[in-house]
Amino acid sequence: MSENLSNLSFRKGIVDNLFEKMGDAAQHDGTPSKEELAALAEEFLIGKATTYGATTFYDFMKPENRGKKVYVCNGTACVCAGKQNAVQEKLQQHFKKEEIGHITCLGRCHENGAFQYDGQNYSGDSADISKIITKKPAGRDNYHVEALGNPVLTTNFSMQEAQELLSNALQKSRDQLLDEIINSGLRGRGGAGFPMGIKLKSCKEEASDLKFIICNADEGDPGAYSDRYLLEQQPYAVLFGMIIAGYITGADWGVLYIRAEYPDAVTITKQAIEALRQADLLGFDILGHKNFNFDFKIIKAQGAYICGEETALINSIEGQRPEVRTRPPFPTQQGLFLKPTVVNNVETLAALPFIIKNGGTAYAKMGTERSKGTKLISLDSFFNKPGIYEVEMGTKLATVIEKLGGGFKSPVKAMQIGGPLGGIVPIEKIPDLTIDFESFAKEGFLLGHASIVCIPKDFPMINFLTHLMDFAQYESCGKCFPCRLGTKRAHEMLEKALYDNYKIDKALFDDLLTTLKEGSLCAHGGGIPLPVRNAMQYFEEELAGYFVNL
Amino acid sequence: MIAYINNQPYEYQQGETILNFVKRIQGEKSIPTLCDAPNLKPTGSCRICSVEVALKQGGPTKTVASCHTPIMEGSYIYPNSDSVQKLRKNIIELVLTDHPLECLTCEVNGNCELQDVAARVGIREVRYPQGANHLHRQKDLSHPYMTSDLSKCINCYRCVRACDEVQGQFVLSMAGRGFDAHIIKGMDESFFASDCVSCGACAQACPTSAISDVFQSKSIVDADKTRTVCTYCGVGCNLEVSHRGDKVISIRAPYDAAVNGGHTCLKGRYAFKFYDHPDRLTDPLIKRNGQFEKVSWDEAYNYITDKLNHYKNTTGPDSIAGISSSRCTNEENYLMQKFFRAVLHTNNIDGCARICHSPTALGMQRTFGTGAATNSVSGIQHTDCIMVIGANPTAAHPVTGAKIKQFAMKSDKTLIVIDPRRTELAKYATYHLALRPGTNVAVLNMMMYYIVTEGLTDDDFIRVRTEGYDDFLNKIKALDVDKMEAISGVDKDWVREAAIAYATADAAMSFHGLGVTEHSQGTFAVMQIANLAMMTGNIGRKGVGVNPLRGQNNVQGAADMGVQPHQGAGYLDVTNADIQAKYRAFYGVDVPTEVGYKIPEMFDAAIAGQLKAIWIIGEDVVQTDPNTQKVIKALENTELVIVQELFITETAKYADVILPGASFLEKSGTFTNGERRVQRVNQVVQPIGNTKADGQIIVEMMNRMGYAQPDYTPDGMLEEISQIVPFFAGIKWEELGINGKQWPVGKDGKDTQILHTDSFKRGKGYFEFHPFEETREIKNNGQEYPYILTTNRDLEHYNCGAMTRRTGNVEILGEDVLWIHPDDAAAKGIKDGDMVCLQSPRGKVDIKAHLTEDVNPGILSTTFHFPEIMVNNITSDEHCSEALCPEYKVVAVKIRKSKGKFKTLV
Repeated sequence: MSENLSNLSFRKGIVDNLFEKMGDAAQHDGTPSKEELAALAEEFLIGKATTYGATTFYDFMKPENRGKKVYVCNGTACVCAGKQNAVQEKLQQHFKKEEIGHITCLGRCHENGAFQYDGQNYSGDSADISKIITKKPAGRDNYHVEALGNPVLTTNFSMQEAQELLSNALQKSRDQLLDEIINSGLRGRGGAGFPMGIKLKSCKEEASDLKFIICNADEGDPGAYSDRYLLEQQPYAVLFGMIIAGYITGADWGVLYIRAEYPDAVTITKQAIEALRQADLLGFDILGHKNFNFDFKIIKAQGAYICGEETALINSIEGQRPEVRTRPPFPTQQGLFLKPTVVNNVETLAALPFIIKNGGTAYAKMGTERSKGTKLISLDSFFNKPGIYEVEMGTKLATVIEKLGGGFKSPVKAMQIGGPLGGIVPIEKIPDLTIDFESFAKEGFLLGHASIVCIPKDFPMINFLTHLMDFAQYESCGKCFPCRLGTKRAHEMLEKALYDNYKIDKALFDDLLTTLKEGSLCAHGGGIPLPVRNAMQYFEEELAGYFVNL
Repeated sequence: MIAYINNQPYEYQQGETILNFVKRIQGEKSIPTLCDAPNLKPTGSCRICSVEVALKQGGPTKTVASCHTPIMEGSYIYPNSDSVQKLRKNIIELVLTDHPLECLTCEVNGNCELQDVAARVGIREVRYPQGANHLHRQKDLSHPYMTSDLSKCINCYRCVRACDEVQGQFVLSMAGRGFDAHIIKGMDESFFASDCVSCGACAQACPTSAISDVFQSKSIVDADKTRTVCTYCGVGCNLEVSHRGDKVISIRAPYDAAVNGGHTCLKGRYAFKFYDHPDRLTDPLIKRNGQFEKVSWDEAYNYITDKLNHYKNTTGPDSIAGISSSRCTNEENYLMQKFFRAVLHTNNIDGCARICHSPTALGMQRTFGTGAATNSVSGIQHTDCIMVIGANPTAAHPVTGAKIKQFAMKSDKTLIVIDPRRTELAKYATYHLALRPGTNVAVLNMMMYYIVTEGLTDDDFIRVRTEGYDDFLNKIKALDVDKMEAISGVDKDWVREAAIAYATADAAMSFHGLGVTEHSQGTFAVMQIANLAMMTGNIGRKGVGVNPLRGQNNVQGAADMGVQPHQGAGYLDVTNADIQAKYRAFYGVDVPTEVGYKIPEMFDAAIAGQLKAIWIIGEDVVQTDPNTQKVIKALENTELVIVQELFITETAKYADVILPGASFLEKSGTFTNGERRVQRVNQVVQPIGNTKADGQIIVEMMNRMGYAQPDYTPDGMLEEISQIVPFFAGIKWEELGINGKQWPVGKDGKDTQILHTDSFKRGKGYFEFHPFEETREIKNNGQEYPYILTTNRDLEHYNCGAMTRRTGNVEILGEDVLWIHPDDAAAKGIKDGDMVCLQSPRGKVDIKAHLTEDVNPGILSTTFHFPEIMVNNITSDEHCSEALCPEYKVVAVKIRKSKGKFKTLV
């Protein structure tokens, strides 16, 4: 990250945004022309290498994306479901091979067979390809949504409720609202579990004429679609959360960074923002509160998993290469455009209506000692009832699987829970786990964003690990040495073992995993060893043939 | 504040990173690093500097990268635990899976940071199976200086950060991601095709040989290193010159240089090959029958001595004049003026400051009492607002320019650029006031008007520190701003906003260049800049002041040493009887008492037949002084023209005797940079051929003409100078150290970063109002010649180009071109690249058009680096009314598409 580039991008700021302009320039052809990149470089005074270098980072802007017309999902759930080859074949009847790209997780994990065409997502039964190409119908999907107990996130939160709750909330002081959030014990749902109240407090205490609230809606974890659910079905809850965060911290802008893989989420959120604007809930002196100015900006991401990491996300919005920043300074001190910034996950923000309405204590009554409240869980198509489920923290994993998911459709040997950096949980460990940060950590797994992707019994673990490491190396930002080189070498070794009768040196592989874990700059390289080690531990026998001395 | 290293407590400093802390306690080599660099912010990419940290002794540890992790109070740091040693080794092993292992044939063998770290972590084998790699990448040898071999790149980002954080050019970045992430220049093009400004910061930053230069400056050869000071501009960069015997191999910028801290520009770093260019003059020459003939030094000296004695005794000392060189050392300039005053007994000695910053010296002397920069360039770190007026430092003072650019990019700082052209800094500026050339005084007066009307004056400062304000204030208040707006062509609201920004900044500093001085109102404009600073209290503390960007490397020093017809060494008035007595006593001979000729007066005297001999050192007056044909006529009319030079310049062609001087690499002495910093120039190689240090030539002439002067040595000369130049009182050659001293230097050796802290040199600062007055050039010629040509410089070339045109720089920029607005070009049917005939009342030249909106319609701009164009054929005789500095910046011209390419027509 470059302070100079942050400052230069800031000159046009969030409204006339550099990254957005790059994305616009990529629209017509799949990648911006060199003339467009040179013009942006001149406009922002940032040099052609900067605009070119940034756009080459993203799947949907890089030169290789030129002429791509359709993208097949290669997310973990779709891979495990084994439907994608058929999709690819069907598409090849209509498109040239070079016109078909891939896309990592459209959030259609509940029915698979997913692909994106002309900015619309299709999957499962909706995917009648010839019809799609001729008529371009809306690619709707259906999945179960249910709360096990008291619904916090899955209860409907309308525009009117948002309006009422906001006028009530703004009667209270910033400190009172902050106290409610601190008392709620709400921890970030993006995976790291950092207490939201502390983040808000730290940002609030920074002196700055400009602050930002960012909603991290770059739900890149293959298998997770709970944020997509919230954005598409509970947009007011998310936006309300951002407004409250803005009020508490004194931020002027709420920026939603939404993945390009979720086109409907972008459209729906945009409509919701317009509705709020019509109701006079945005702009200057909101609801008569002098000096409370707040507005939204949606930034559409361009296809890079690492942008889910908050500092990479910030760099992305600035139009820099989305490489992970060093910390400190933390975003609450110097975030977007080097201004104090709170970055929160969609689900975290969506919990604020409940907390503001019922008080922090009511929220804290749910869940466990250290993991408060409720959590959304995404279940993939191996469950009899795939969908989004809301449970109180501390709920047994077995309950989720059996009672909510209705059990597995077909034999499953393990689940990857919490995204690609989450642990691989063998089915025999199900009884030991409850849905909360501590239980998973204690057992050597990771709750993460609580997506559950099943690994079928007949799916070789070596294939799974190869897929996983392929994802890791493909999505590495490349900034730090261990991740850039380590994920690549790990993938190469797994691939060689899988296809070339090569046996991996266990000592070397151990060293590599330790290097990734200890040496990486962020959780991408640091987190990928966890599922690999889980697999090596729980599926030792299956994997032994691929290793020397496993 | 205590933290523990290996369980031993140590005091740490506020904000210190673990890396800096451990290095400070345990030494530079205590923690290996790759992506860390002395002049760059930490980026945390290599992770080699990882250490283990625990919150209590023996407690659970966490591995963190020490370069970007601040110290936690009471933490326990284990910089070399077994686990971090293993981690480092494993990371390096990964690096070596994608790096050629052909160290013995690598350019940086023995000086490679990767090699060094690999050895330190004890790598013995690479255990990984053969995998994808980038070893096939092609070398980029497109550029005259910069090279890359990215097969050796380790993705440490040091080059990218250097290009960004040091130079601010953004030519380098990464493209792709993950394992495919790779360094790009521009949009993945060659160095030559990119917008690279060849500063070499990336090559110096690169820890391997992935980015280097044609001189292989990082290779280890059996070479000596000598630290010296650049010859190319008033910034005064320190250079570390590698040389083997008398062969200069390469140049790098030392990190511990106060002036340039590890940075320099393509002139300083790469444009040194002129020194042994085949065109170098190696022997004295005497023109006989129109041909130069090689002669011995004796013969040359005898010839000159006889002639000078003859004129001295017949037409008198004042029929002889000298132009000393701002490229020469202080000691040499001192000797030259001493030769004229003490040996020839005339004050007819002047230097190139006349044609650049004489109005600065005069104007600031009138207002403050001292004609030199009030502050230091390092003030940029402490200021909130910079006003750059009439200067293009990213081209002419690149290292200072880069610092101002870095400043300008910060969002909480204000940069005001007052310049007719949209310079690089203007693009980054908060306010660019693109005035019509010649209207600086109008715009500055408008600024002061608004500062007064907005009530933003620093009344305490004005009351306590200044005089003349009441009268000044009345005249400012009476200013007709609407009229000034019309005259200058700058929106008065913009001027008002800029004025408010300057006046309300906690600390505001100004930098000015020749766009201020080279005008008929040059001295007045300087005084208005000084007044602006005084009325807002921006004098005498950090981050403020009036800071001229001195052009040539030692133009400050030349004036300091007395290369001026009205002031002797140390700016002492030659007409003052007490001063005369002092000089008489010091030199041991009688001294002249009348003010001598300034350069333009020398030429007038020559044309009038009153000047018989002129001795010019290192100054190409034919190419660079205005109105070329007049200069030529003057030289032709002077019986004895002595030119002391490195090359046969346009001026040398008119010489009767040419004396071959030594280049900066071949002699010792001191240069004084634009912030009054006297720095040691250390001889690197022996003078080439039969050349001699200019100072030694002057000494030998002095002795020939009967004045006993010891041989030229910098320490000996400085000892003499320190006794007569008051502000050099405490300067001793041995005590100058690596970063020199900023004058005034007291007898105790203490130097001065900031002038006028408590009082001005002249007592109180003096306010003096001057209204805008249109130059005669426009008044007399503007009707018939409706365009205004303003001349300037490019990054790649230095002044007349005699040195830089004999280096690789000429491959980067090979000609002078004319900037012309597309509207003007369209009106005249001129297309980009067409030849344009520029005509002024003095003559005409043909020059290639470059269409750009970086000049306003009606304004043209070009450079004067190439004798093929000789743009000074059309510049005028107009000059600053006070200091006689020529008005290069306003030339009335008319234009048409040229009928054909021809060199010059008169």
